[in-house]
Order: sequence, then structure tokens, then C-alpha cells
Amino acid sequence: MTISCRGLTKVYEGGKSGWPALRGISFDIGPGEFAAVTGPSGCGKSTLLNIIGLLDEPSGGGYFLHGRDVVKMSDLERSDARRDGIGFVFQAFHLLNRLTALDNVCLPMMYAGAPDKAIKSRAHELLHKVGLKGKEIKTPLELSGGERQRVAIARALANSPKIILADEPTGNLDSSSSREVMNMLLALNKEGITVVMVTHDRELAALAGRNIRMMDGVIES
Amino acid sequence: MKSLVIAARTGFSEIRAHKTRSILSFLAIAVGAVVFINAFSAICATYERLKKQKDVSGMARLKISQNNSRLFSSPDAEYTPPPAFTYEDVLLLKRKMPGLYMVSPEARDWHDVLEYNGRRVNTNLLGVAPDWIKRDFVYTLRGRFLNWHDMENKLRVCVLIKKAPLPPGNSFEKSMFKKWNYAAAFDTLVSHNDLLGKPVKIEGVNFTVIGILEELPASKRPEVMMGYSNSKDIQILAPVTTLTHFEFINARNSLDVSIDTGSEQTFEESLKLIKNFLKIRFGDEDSFIIENQMELIRERTEKSVKNSLMTISLGMLAFIAGGIGIMNVTLATVFARTKEIGVRRAIGANRGDIMLQFIVEAVLLGLIGGVLGSGIGYIWNGPVRVIFGMGGGAIEPWIPLVSVLIAAFTSFAFAIYPAWVAANLKPADALRAE
Repeated sequence: MTISCRGLTKVYEGGKSGWPALRGISFDIGPGEFAAVTGPSGCGKSTLLNIIGLLDEPSGGGYFLHGRDVVKMSDLERSDARRDGIGFVFQAFHLLNRLTALDNVCLPMMYAGAPDKAIKSRAHELLHKVGLKGKEIKTPLELSGGERQRVAIARALANSPKIILADEPTGNLDSSSSREVMNMLLALNKEGITVVMVTHDRELAALAGRNIRMMDGVIES
Repeated sequence: MKSLVIAARTGFSEIRAHKTRSILSFLAIAVGAVVFINAFSAICATYERLKKQKDVSGMARLKISQNNSRLFSSPDAEYTPPPAFTYEDVLLLKRKMPGLYMVSPEARDWHDVLEYNGRRVNTNLLGVAPDWIKRDFVYTLRGRFLNWHDMENKLRVCVLIKKAPLPPGNSFEKSMFKKWNYAAAFDTLVSHNDLLGKPVKIEGVNFTVIGILEELPASKRPEVMMGYSNSKDIQILAPVTTLTHFEFINARNSLDVSIDTGSEQTFEESLKLIKNFLKIRFGDEDSFIIENQMELIRERTEKSVKNSLMTISLGMLAFIAGGIGIMNVTLATVFARTKEIGVRRAIGANRGDIMLQFIVEAVLLGLIGGVLGSGIGYIWNGPVRVIFGMGGGAIEPWIPLVSVLIAAFTSFAFAIYPAWVAANLKPADALRAE
């Protein structure tokens, strides 16, 4: 299994006993699957995605990534696993506005310590792939929302991850841009990348091969 | 290595993007550098002076003089005068300790009238021996100096001292000097007439001028730079034997004797022998005071080391203040860029990368501020001081370098905590920040 969760819980601090966001979640996602996580606001979708993406730690339960027990990993190991194995696409793009599109795409490879030349050519290649040829030296503020999200996808692909985690990737986009981004994710999935996408949009969710519906911190179906 | 490149690049772009904040940080650390450079140049100047003093006056110097408290403290009928160090004692000491480099007795006589060609001027007289010329102070000599033949035969010969022009000083010093310059008339006489080889009368006694000592300009005389010159009131040197014979000096008066033992190595041993000499010759060594130059310089060195530590600590305090400024700015930066930290962590930066990023940024601030401050400090201690007539501070080239390094190190040290805070933010929490 690519992703394997066993009784995951997450309790946020606050109040007397804390606030439980996840209350025992178990599921498996196999390699090459496209899973959409849906559910109303506050049901714990993003928390789950953060834990899967190693951005957050569960309060209890087990999480195995490619069979490795994540709970036992050090911060450095988690950082490396995140850098080399997971690409993120966020609703708010989360690009660094002071850098050009090209430099944003270069960044994950630089953290991975790749040689300069390889980084540059791969970044050009990825921007070309997401249809942004000629816009390499534009900063995110000079790009449209759809273009920004495509830069973000290129960045997510930089270190050739096996998993892409998308948190409401179309939430800030108009319908045509949304469709483009969705098509891109579907295409990547066809190439064999496992995609986990959090979304509100039932239509988009229907395009995914698998639906995980959440409610109040547990999986409904 | 790659993270360092990322960190430096990000650092520069952040510094450029937040100009006001960066300039304030530069200033905070620059002030530290300026204070530090000032402190260091003051310390260097002190050590330079001490070194010169050592070079010039020698470490192995001591002076024997009569213990005046004994001279005046027993005014009763039974009073017997304390023993006096006489010229015979000087000769005896020289015979007993031939290894001594210099044994220079001296006795003063104030307010003598010098007569030349019908002109009469006031002067001060110093009775000396040939060894006097071995002392520190630098003159050029025309003619010859006193010799042992003059001494033995009590010849009426003298050497005149021609003063150098006044060193620059403030107007108060100048006017005070003018007011109290007892020897003004003498100076005029000597500078307008070449008295070498000429007969003169001192208090009615005929003397021949056999030599003229010309003082170097004040800037070339270390004893002036060091603020002491024990010949400044003296215009005429003559054999102490002659002066005693002609009763310029009371034969019962004690002579002051300056001694140079020749080297620092033999100083302690010689000091012991001299004390022993005094004891055997005069029954007790307390009749004389021995001023120990070695001790004096040692004490002065200790004092300046203490002063230096004080000054350095002030410089360091200024740096610490600058460092706190950097820490404050870096903390503010961390909080302002929390989301960015989250993004970087999400795309693969580890804690070390984040920590490095903020430290490098702070060190860049410190480096630039340090260079800025060193520049200001350099200009302040060099040209500006000269323009305002304060005299240039001694700035060795390594001082600005060291201060830049300290500025960088201070920034590094004070950035560690904010960088640690940044590195320990949870990626998910950081991403949620607005």
C-alpha cells in the first residue's frame, strides 16, 4: 500500500480536553489510485491531508507510508520523505511571490541538492509541461490564478514524487481553470502518480476513481 | 551547500525588499562597530605609548634620592642630618659595580644669572656627570659633552640647552607657558647668538661653553609625548664637581642618582646589590628612596590592561546592543514570514534549512552593518580626528577586519534563537498562518 492509516486520531489543543479533529480513521490507498476526500467544512479533511503529507503528526493511531512507520520517523526523515516523495498543491497556491515561476519550481530540487544545470532544465521542462512556456521569469503576482496553480503543480512535480496531495486545488479558480487543473491531475494519475485530493466539489470528486467521505472526524463511506 | 545558496539568495532579496528594516539593522550593528573601533584604537595608542616609554627610558632604570621625610621631621637640638649621597659615593658605586651602564648624579641650582656680552638672563643650572648623556632624551649635540677630565679637575665648562619650538597645544596651555616661561630671555639669547666656545659668566663665575644641546622638535621626542621631561626647566649643564667647588651647590646636599643597570635581566640582581651598597655605606637603606622604573612600567601596563578590558567591554556592550537589535528584527521577520516557512517545509526544507536561512540573513545584515560601521569608525578615527585637530588614532588594518568579524559573529549568535523558533514551527501550523 502507498498510504495506510490505522485508527488515526488528531486532537487539537484548546479547551479542557482539546478539540478532536480526527477520531479514528483507517483506510488504505494503493499505488496509482486517485482518491477524493470530501465532506463539509471542519470535518477534518485538511487535517487528514496534512498528516498524510507529513506536515502534521497524528495524536494517535498508525500511519504507514510505502510501508514505513511514519510515527517512528525523525523530523529530518519526515522532511526528506516529504521532499522526495510527496508533491503538494494548495488552494491558495502558496508560491513565493518574490521568486519567478522558474525559481519557485527550482526550489524543491535545490533543497534536494541537485546540480544547478539539471535543476534549470527540469524546471523549464515542467513549466513547458503545464503550458507555461514563455512565462518562466514572471512572478506569481504577474500570473492569473489558473497559471499560478499550474506553477504550483510544476513545483509539486519537481522531485518526481510518487504521491500528489491536493488541498482544494480548484477552490480559488474559475470553472475553466478548475477543469484544466483537474485534467492535469487526472493526467498525472494516468502516469502512475497516486493522487489524494481534498475537495468540496461533488462533480470533481466524481471524476476520481475513489471517494472518501468524511463527517465529524470519521469516515462515512 | 545548496541550502546555503538558497539562504544567501533569499537573504539578499529580503534585505533588498525591506529597505528600512535592513538599514535600521545595519545601523544597530554599525554603532557597535564604531564604538569597538574607537575602543581598540584607544587601546592601541596606549600600548604604543607604553612601548615607546619602554624603548626610550629602558626597563632597567632606577633613581636614588634622599628620603625627604627624614630631612625635615626631627627639628630638635640632637638632630643630626641624614646621610647624603655625595659625588664620592657615586665614584665608589661605579667602582664597586662596573657593570652598571649609567650612573648619573644630578643636583640643581635655581635662578642663576648668566652673563654674556653685557646681557644678563635668568637660568637654571644642573650639575651632572658624563653619564648624563646616556639617558633617554634625544638631542643633537654641537661641540662636546662633559667628560671625566672636566669632573676630576672641576673645570669651569658648561653645555647649554637650546629649546625646540613649542609643541602645539591649546591656547590656554600656550598662554600659561608664555606667562611662566622663566627662561624666555635665555632662549632668545641662545637662539640669536652662537655661544659655542664663548666665555660666559654664571653668577659672576667664568665658564666656557663647550657644547650646545639642541632639542628635537616635540613631535620627535618621546619624553614629551609621554608627558614627562625632567630637563624642561634646565638651561645649563655643568660638572657637578665644579658646581660644588664654586658653592653653587651645598656640598652636604644629597645628589639624585639615576642608574641604568644595562639590561632587564640583570635588573633585580643589580637592585639587590645597590640596596646592599646603601646599607653598608649609610647604615640603613631607608635614608634613600629608590624609584623603580621597571615597577612603574609594570604598574602602568597593568593599569592599561585594566583600562583596555574596560574599554573593550564597552565596545562589546555596544555590539550586544546591536545584536539584540538583530535578534528583534529576525524574530519579527520569522513571525512575518511564518507562512513562507510553512511553504518551504512543505516543499522539502528541513529544520536545518530553515534555521540556516534566518541565520544567514542575520549574518548578512551583520556583515554589511559591520563593514558600514568599520568604515565610519575608520573615517572617524583617521581623517575626522585630523581635521578637528584631535590627532589621528592609531588604526591597524586588522582592527576594522576584526570588528567586521565580530559584527558577523554577534549577528550569528543573536540569530540562533529566532532561527530556532522558525525551525521548530510545525509545518501545518505555519501554513495556516496569515
